[in-house]
Amino acid sequence: MTATELSTFTLTLASLVQESGHAAPAHSEPAAGGMATLLVPVFTLLGTVLCGLFAAFKVKSKLPAWTTVLLLAASFAAIVYTYATGQGTTSPVIAHGFDWISITWGEFGSAGHGHGIAANFSFYVDALTLLWMLFVTGLGTLIALYASEYMSHDVGAGYCRFFAAFNLFVFSMSCLVMADNFLLLYLGWEGVGLCSYLLIGYFYKKPSAVAAAKKAFIVNRIGDLGLALGVFLIYVQFGSVEYKAVFAEAGRYIDAARAGHFDQIPWQVQLIPLLLMVGAFGKSAQLPLYVWLPDAMEGPTPVSALIHAATMVTAGVYLVARSYPLFLCSETALPVVAWVGTLTALLAATIGMAQFDIKRIMAYSTVSQLGYMFAGLGVLTSTGAAFHVLTHAFFKALLFLCCGAVMHGFAGQLDLRKLSGVWKIPGWKVVSVGMLIGCANLSGFPLTPGFFSKDMILAEAFVTPGMAAIGWLLLLTAGLTAYYTFRVFFRVFVGPVEYEPGDELHAHDDHGHDGHAEAHGTVHGHGDSHGHSAATGNHGHAGHFHPHAPGWAINTVLAILATLSIVAAGLYFMGDHGGWAANMVHHSTAALPPAPADHAAESGAGHAHGSFLGMDPHAVMYYVSAVVGFIGIGVAFWLHFAGRTTAATSRADALVPKLGAVARAAQHKWYVDEIYDFLLVKPLWVLSHIFHLIDALLVDGLVDFAGWVPRTVGKVIRPAQSGLLHGYAIGMAGGLAVLLLIVLLAVT
Amino acid sequence: MSATFDPLMVTIAQAGAPAPMAGATLAHYLFVSAVMFALGLIGFLTRRNLIIMFLCTELMFQAAGIALIAFSRFHLNHTGETFVIFVLTVAAAEAAMALALVVLLFRRRESLDAEQWDEMSG
Amino acid sequence: MAQSILILLIVVPLAFAAFLAWMPRKHAPAIALMGTSLAALLGVYTALIFDWNLSGRFQLENTVQWLPSLGVALQVGVDGVSLLLVLLTLLLGPICVLCSVTAIRERIKTYYGWLLVLQAAMTGVFVARDLILFYVCFEFTLVPMFILISLYGSTNRRRAAIKFFLYTFTGSIIALAGLVYVAWFAAGRALPGSSGWTFDLDILMRAAAELPPSTQAWVLGALLLGFAVKVPLFPLHTWLPLAHTEAPTAGSVILAGVLLKLGTYGIFRLAIPFAPAAFAEYAPMLAGLSIVGILYGGLICWVQTDVKKLVAYSSVAHLGFCVLGMTAGNEIGLTGSVLYMINHGLSTGALFLLIGMIYERYHTRDMAKLGGLAARMPVWSTFMVFFVMASVGLPGLNGFISEVMCLLGAFQASDNWGSGAWGSVADAMPGATPGLLGPWYAAIAGVGMIIAAMYLLQLTGKVVWGPLVEPTGHGHGGRDHGGHGLGGHDSAEHSTAAASHAGGHGAGGADASHTATSDKPHLPTDLTPREIGILVPLAVLCLALGLYPKPVLYAIDGSVAQTANLIREAGALKARPAGSPQVEPAPVEGAPAESDGKASAMAEEAAGSVAAGDAVTGGPGR
Repeated sequence: MTATELSTFTLTLASLVQESGHAAPAHSEPAAGGMATLLVPVFTLLGTVLCGLFAAFKVKSKLPAWTTVLLLAASFAAIVYTYATGQGTTSPVIAHGFDWISITWGEFGSAGHGHGIAANFSFYVDALTLLWMLFVTGLGTLIALYASEYMSHDVGAGYCRFFAAFNLFVFSMSCLVMADNFLLLYLGWEGVGLCSYLLIGYFYKKPSAVAAAKKAFIVNRIGDLGLALGVFLIYVQFGSVEYKAVFAEAGRYIDAARAGHFDQIPWQVQLIPLLLMVGAFGKSAQLPLYVWLPDAMEGPTPVSALIHAATMVTAGVYLVARSYPLFLCSETALPVVAWVGTLTALLAATIGMAQFDIKRIMAYSTVSQLGYMFAGLGVLTSTGAAFHVLTHAFFKALLFLCCGAVMHGFAGQLDLRKLSGVWKIPGWKVVSVGMLIGCANLSGFPLTPGFFSKDMILAEAFVTPGMAAIGWLLLLTAGLTAYYTFRVFFRVFVGPVEYEPGDELHAHDDHGHDGHAEAHGTVHGHGDSHGHSAATGNHGHAGHFHPHAPGWAINTVLAILATLSIVAAGLYFMGDHGGWAANMVHHSTAALPPAPADHAAESGAGHAHGSFLGMDPHAVMYYVSAVVGFIGIGVAFWLHFAGRTTAATSRADALVPKLGAVARAAQHKWYVDEIYDFLLVKPLWVLSHIFHLIDALLVDGLVDFAGWVPRTVGKVIRPAQSGLLHGYAIGMAGGLAVLLLIVLLAVT
Repeated sequence: MSATFDPLMVTIAQAGAPAPMAGATLAHYLFVSAVMFALGLIGFLTRRNLIIMFLCTELMFQAAGIALIAFSRFHLNHTGETFVIFVLTVAAAEAAMALALVVLLFRRRESLDAEQWDEMSG
Repeated sequence: MAQSILILLIVVPLAFAAFLAWMPRKHAPAIALMGTSLAALLGVYTALIFDWNLSGRFQLENTVQWLPSLGVALQVGVDGVSLLLVLLTLLLGPICVLCSVTAIRERIKTYYGWLLVLQAAMTGVFVARDLILFYVCFEFTLVPMFILISLYGSTNRRRAAIKFFLYTFTGSIIALAGLVYVAWFAAGRALPGSSGWTFDLDILMRAAAELPPSTQAWVLGALLLGFAVKVPLFPLHTWLPLAHTEAPTAGSVILAGVLLKLGTYGIFRLAIPFAPAAFAEYAPMLAGLSIVGILYGGLICWVQTDVKKLVAYSSVAHLGFCVLGMTAGNEIGLTGSVLYMINHGLSTGALFLLIGMIYERYHTRDMAKLGGLAARMPVWSTFMVFFVMASVGLPGLNGFISEVMCLLGAFQASDNWGSGAWGSVADAMPGATPGLLGPWYAAIAGVGMIIAAMYLLQLTGKVVWGPLVEPTGHGHGGRDHGGHGLGGHDSAEHSTAAASHAGGHGAGGADASHTATSDKPHLPTDLTPREIGILVPLAVLCLALGLYPKPVLYAIDGSVAQTANLIREAGALKARPAGSPQVEPAPVEGAPAESDGKASAMAEEAAGSVAAGDAVTGGPGR
């Protein structure tokens, strides 16, 4: 179906719906438009189906990858087209696909009761949507290209499965981001959860991968319940789940909220954001639901880059930004968001400092950076949060893909104690430079995009009254981040050249290369010989392992991402106020509403603004955060680079025993998993067994007892039935006689 | 109709219908019926031969039939007679079935002794 | 044809059952397949001639006199809800025949014969417009099911069959008492259009509106006892896991797909219309039981080691959602509930099929002995994950919409919304409906969604994913068929990449293509085209209902709205003493326009709305 056909089709549907009496609310209805965005789900769904067919026909080539890259590039083009033609960039437009859950009971139901529900498969295209979709489809294309090489050892059924899920992910993500109602958002929300489940569990023979996939899905489901209840409450409160109606209705309360009269806002309205937030925390791995994300690194690295770093995990941020009008109506919601984000950022950073698996470190840094984004939203800079999402998407994807390249080249080796000096190995320049750029971004090195986006949040935290504590904590976290980021860089990429292969050697594809794995049995032994043996020589064991440097696809993607991770800084200087991202946000629902005039007058211009040690935070934060970043990098340099001669040891080793229990606890992720297991999983497990026993013994026991009673009675009186005909006959005659006697006696 | 009206002593003729057997009262018929029934019952209880037992049940059937017809005649409606016709029909069918069964049983044990069978013991 | 189509739907399977009895044994599956397929085609025809625009009204009505002196007639008719359930039944018919071809090797004539009879009985329940016909069919489903379980089940089948029969039968007898009471009551009323005894459901419903409230409660209790056993609602569910586990695959599929729905359908069609006020009043209690079922059943699932038992208990949890939606008593909840009946039939039916396929191959249902089958059976695993996701309630698949609507229905059904009762600013809440449930019911039941993910992913995590585990000597434990090694089944056309990699196959390259003649079915490692053919229609329907549910929503909206109105008005009536000022009840199309505000007249109007559609199409007195 061509684009024009599609749009006429949808237009017809749209007109039908309008005829059937979806009464337009009093506010201005968003215009129809942005039809090209509908192509994204079409393309990606097509990709899923095609990859499925490839699997069915046992395609043993890279066809699925190229199909995916092509379709995702087309999706990206559709989004770029929409953006370039200015559809939705200034005011939202709605692209109606088809009716999904759409029903009215007007003709049967009594007036005012359950008049209907409309959640259509249509897209709400505004600047925020476009911002997200641009990097989702763009990064999707790049990472698919990367994966075409990265997954090449799995060409065959696993390859098709990977790209089918990949397409399905972008499909779900497009539904999540572009939905024009909360139920379609929920579809995307759980859809990305499913893809995450499938892709984390991609190496399904590894029990740890299966467990991680399950954990991700279930923890997300906990958040989803909150989201679902939030959506229910929205429906009950506003009678609709469509953005246009909900946000228009919520607008009624905004003025009261701006004036601080929260007592005039019904508690239901104030509760909505608190429920939505639970969903956001689940999907975006915030306290207390962050535990699934580090485990999710069991998936292939492109998946970690796309889903668990750049796009899916920012869905929570998107949700909060999207429903910002609702959050503004609540007295507690945004402060809670800010605090949860900040504490998550700090906690994840402390865990990240103590890990040795570089992918896990990146995972914790993702959790931490997501915390920044939430803190940004909480301190009323949706602009800063959105900008940070964007820059983070670039540099974190870059970091993950670099880690993935290392993992790919070193047979799954991820331990930073077993890798060193990668920079100096021939063929690894692009990866190393990419890593450096990524690390610089993450640690907020001046003039990188990550520096500007982080500053926006930090400065705003000090500006917002009552949020200074958050600002200080975030500043501390920034220092820790710089430390653990460059710890990875100094350990793995510079220093003496020394490496040891991992234990995978591509034995992890899905078709049981038992024989294959055995052929590499010599390498298998390395898993348990930690550290010590690595010192024996540059080439680790046995001498016949050679890391294979990344090929053109990986290098190209890394180069593009590295470039983007530098030039994105330019976005900060585009436009008048706060850069391109700010411009986009200002034209979306995430924009802060203009303060009512009386309120502004009453609080006095600028008076409410906080300050950073008496200075204007906006002005000094550049320098402060740069200094903090440099301190972090310097500490990393001192502990992990200066004077290091082997891969396995560094100055930090001497420091760890001094820290004692704290270091150990941080290494064990503060025992959060264990605590959850003890407090939630185990009791539930015991309870389930108790229920099982109750069911078998009590509930079913009663039933069986009811059957047992007549049976026992029967057994007792059973001998009365002799089976002899005469016995029965005599009994009958006797009974007759007795009856007659009674009758006679009664008569006389 | 006096106060000491005893229906058993009213002859069928007195009840208004033409009397084929003048003087025979309801009581007579019932007496015959009772005697037949008692004979059947005693026979059923005392004999062990399946055929005889079966004949005894038939005797009881017919005893009940006589009583029904007598009452029917006495009350001047045909319900009882209709009923007897049904009973006869059923009895005929049942006789065929029962005799067939008895033959089968005989083939199993080479005997008609009812004591040979206690498969229905509980 | 058009007039008697519904009766044909019952007669055709019966006729084929009789025909099958006369034909040689080897033709039994083919005849059964023909019979069920013909019925399915007739079902399609029915759907085509049914006027979906008037789906809230009973159509295609037909009456054949049966026992006129007792007022019993073979009276049939369908509205949108019953037609959808009929279609579900007819769809599962051929599927059940096809899935039994290799599984059932003994007494096949008896098997297929009773399968056909079962289908006729189930169809009869859904098309019945006469109480006696309904009840006869409702009870008659027990007989074939009893035989299917007790003859063709696995080891503990006798006990399971007897328990199933006695348990559900006991419940049904109590329900019969309630039903007969309503009929007796109606006979005493002698409403216009009835002469003495009648079992016409329309007339009974209108008569039941005059039942005094206390009596309504008793009637509801009796009906619910019968139907709740069938659903099954906690704590009356213990027959279900046993019956499911022991039943042959087709039996489980029918049990999950249709028989359980007889209970919920009974509540929807009889219990609510006969006692709407009592239903509204006792809704919290019922909802409480269903929530207990959701959580309790779900948690028990989580610790199951028997795959089939896990899915069986999941039915307890799932049907809990269905009943919860019904107790909400508003349009959204009832819609969700009706959709749930269909969706659960599709997805859980498919899960039982998938487990049956595994059981045929490995002769075990023990999760400890099965693992990582994705490596061995990629096609099977794909379907398994798909249907597990449908069952989990993943949006985009069918389960989601029904689950969300059930929960949303319960969430919004509270009189306290917007009344300021919860310490809030009184505010118009356009999405709220009257009722006695509320957000807590939805929130607690919603935990069931998490638990569902827990136990179903536990299932896939163990059986589909993970390291490959196969039972040792799995070819020799079968009850029905002797040993057959799986190792040697790599015929050229069925071998998979997995199998060819795995190595270590048993000796012998036995060809898998001689299933037709051999008593020992040799199945290839992965699914056969026949098995894929069974699953594909279900998968397509799951996807279609998930992505484009509009036609189905459209098909049930009328019936649902009528039922919701009935409950709402009866509930409103109960809440306010007669004569007190009332919120204006909206007039319902076709209902008596005049109301003097007295209780009895109101009740009549509430009941009238049920018969409203009927009054237009010719009235109940035809």
